Amino acid sequence: MEIFPALLSVITDPTLLFAIVLAAAVGMIVGATPGLTASAAIAMLLPITFYMPPLFALAFLYVIGKSGRYGGSVAAILFNTPGTAASAATQIDGYPLARAGKAGKAMKVATISSVIGDFMGDIMLVVGVGFIASIALKLGPPETFAIYFAAFVVIGSVIGKSITKGLISALLGILVAMVGLDPISSEERYTFGSFELSNGIGLVPLMIGVFVLGEVFAQLEERKKAKGEVRENESDPSGHTLTYEEYKPCIPHAIRGGFIGAGIGVLPGLGSAIAAFISYGEGKRRAKNPEQWGKGALEGVAAPEAANNAVSGPSMAPLLTLGIPGSTIGAILLGVFLIHGIQVGPTLFLTDKELVYQLFACGMLGIFAYGIIGYFGATQVARLILKVPVNVLYPLIFLTAFVAAYSARGSMFDVTVMTVAGFVGWLMRKFDFNVAAFVISFVLAKGAEETFRQSLLMSDGGALIFVERPIAAGFLLLGLAAMGFRIRSIMKERRIAEGGLGDA
Amino acid sequence: MRDVVEGIVLAFLSLAAIWGAWQVPAASPGDTWAGIVPFAASVALLALSGLLLLGGLRASDTGHDLAEGGDTGTLDILVLFAIALIYQQSFRWFGYVLPTAIVAPVVLYIFGVRNWIGLAVSVIACPLIFHIIFFELLGVFPPYGEVFDLLDWFRG
Repeated sequence: MEIFPALLSVITDPTLLFAIVLAAAVGMIVGATPGLTASAAIAMLLPITFYMPPLFALAFLYVIGKSGRYGGSVAAILFNTPGTAASAATQIDGYPLARAGKAGKAMKVATISSVIGDFMGDIMLVVGVGFIASIALKLGPPETFAIYFAAFVVIGSVIGKSITKGLISALLGILVAMVGLDPISSEERYTFGSFELSNGIGLVPLMIGVFVLGEVFAQLEERKKAKGEVRENESDPSGHTLTYEEYKPCIPHAIRGGFIGAGIGVLPGLGSAIAAFISYGEGKRRAKNPEQWGKGALEGVAAPEAANNAVSGPSMAPLLTLGIPGSTIGAILLGVFLIHGIQVGPTLFLTDKELVYQLFACGMLGIFAYGIIGYFGATQVARLILKVPVNVLYPLIFLTAFVAAYSARGSMFDVTVMTVAGFVGWLMRKFDFNVAAFVISFVLAKGAEETFRQSLLMSDGGALIFVERPIAAGFLLLGLAAMGFRIRSIMKERRIAEGGLGDA
Repeated sequence: MRDVVEGIVLAFLSLAAIWGAWQVPAASPGDTWAGIVPFAASVALLALSGLLLLGGLRASDTGHDLAEGGDTGTLDILVLFAIALIYQQSFRWFGYVLPTAIVAPVVLYIFGVRNWIGLAVSVIACPLIFHIIFFELLGVFPPYGEVFDLLDWFRG
């Protein structure tokens, strides 16, 4: 019930409403621009939010994240280039629809389904988050460490092509987080006598480096490889409108997608791309017209779009209740909470409950805002993006990265960290390492270490405490099982690929 | 071959990390060793590097190690990274305005802008706009150039 007063307080604040609408528009443009991601935009804008009140800053970035997920579908449908990984599933049916002159229709289906999925996810978050927080309050350090362990393993092994490289990325993130003074004993670790390193590596410059400067490097490389121009597919007049009769068969797919996305969103690390593909596969399996899927079925746009947006709300549950971000956007938002002195975790619902529900209210209004902008203005946004000169945009992003990294703490060392992180981020992408696992593990490492060492102190140095306590053992097994399933699915894919080659 | 090289590089990195963790002094009685997590993470990294290395060696033995990805654009990225390093270091020597006025047209040129008027405009527009947004409107204190600061010179 806390959500209703929160909604009322947000609606009556015109400045906050303006920020939500602005964030919805910015997120949509960023998400729809191929090569730009919501994570990059949020990382770049992060230092600016230092100068804003906490709710304003969080709402602004949270809505950019939500709207950015939806914006990816515009590029997928119109340019055959998914703006985000999550919208790659939308592209399968969205682009054939656009080629058939139904781009407007496809974008309206994507907008309505995104709004349905996102609202479903947010409602489940509002209903369930208090319950999860009350359970989280009862967990001791061994259980919390086991959850961290499961998150590391799932994030490292499930995202990306290679389990080994995913886990290596997660370990690199942990090692980088260890640089500086040990928070318990104040012993120096990996500082090599440097005073600046003894303060540790900052989250903000690392994020700006990996997501913003790294992306600029990647785009420069892409420009050398790219050939041809991106062109928008025009809609014919009948392909621009959408009737209720046309959308009616999409409704069950959107609702199912919403449930799939919300379920996957709660699990750290899985993310919207996986939700979108599972929803697409499940939708096709249950569809009355499976032969149409892949050739331009409106249901094929509705299912993945609802799922990838439904992830957004529930992915906040592990972040707010346990301090475990489920996505890169969650990791950045965790940084915003910390910068504003708000401790994320089960106690957040005791200390800053009002702020949390106001943030949820902003999220819901953000969905409404991007829904309206998208339904009536997606085509105009696409035209605007085509007019943006990419060769000017990326140099400007390059320059912004430096001044943004400096602005965070007024530290030149942060600028150096950002520059090195940018190059490392590009190297990791180039060699198929997992940047998301690296960053999320960096964020999780300190909390995991604290709970691990507290558990050891509780058990007088015995590691058996993690096995003797059933909830802790359950989460450890969950992590290992997730890795086992991933190994099995990779081996299955390999067998199919080898069989396919053999047949050829 | 790529996996083998990656495995070797990561193995060296993990050995350095193990050595670094080993330098952390022992725990005082009743406390836990501050190096336990870095040590465990670096040992795990060494094990995974070994796996990567073995996978790479096996792939090259069975002939599955096909040529992977070209190096198109790598030189440009190295050049841009070198510019980035010099740019961030030059903040310390010359403050924000002068390095940005020099780097802006260079980066635009690297990204393919060949309009000389546009490049000339960027020399003034980029430092001016960023300075106004970050150092005037947001109130961030600009980095001070130890050798020469154009902003100081402008302000007299």
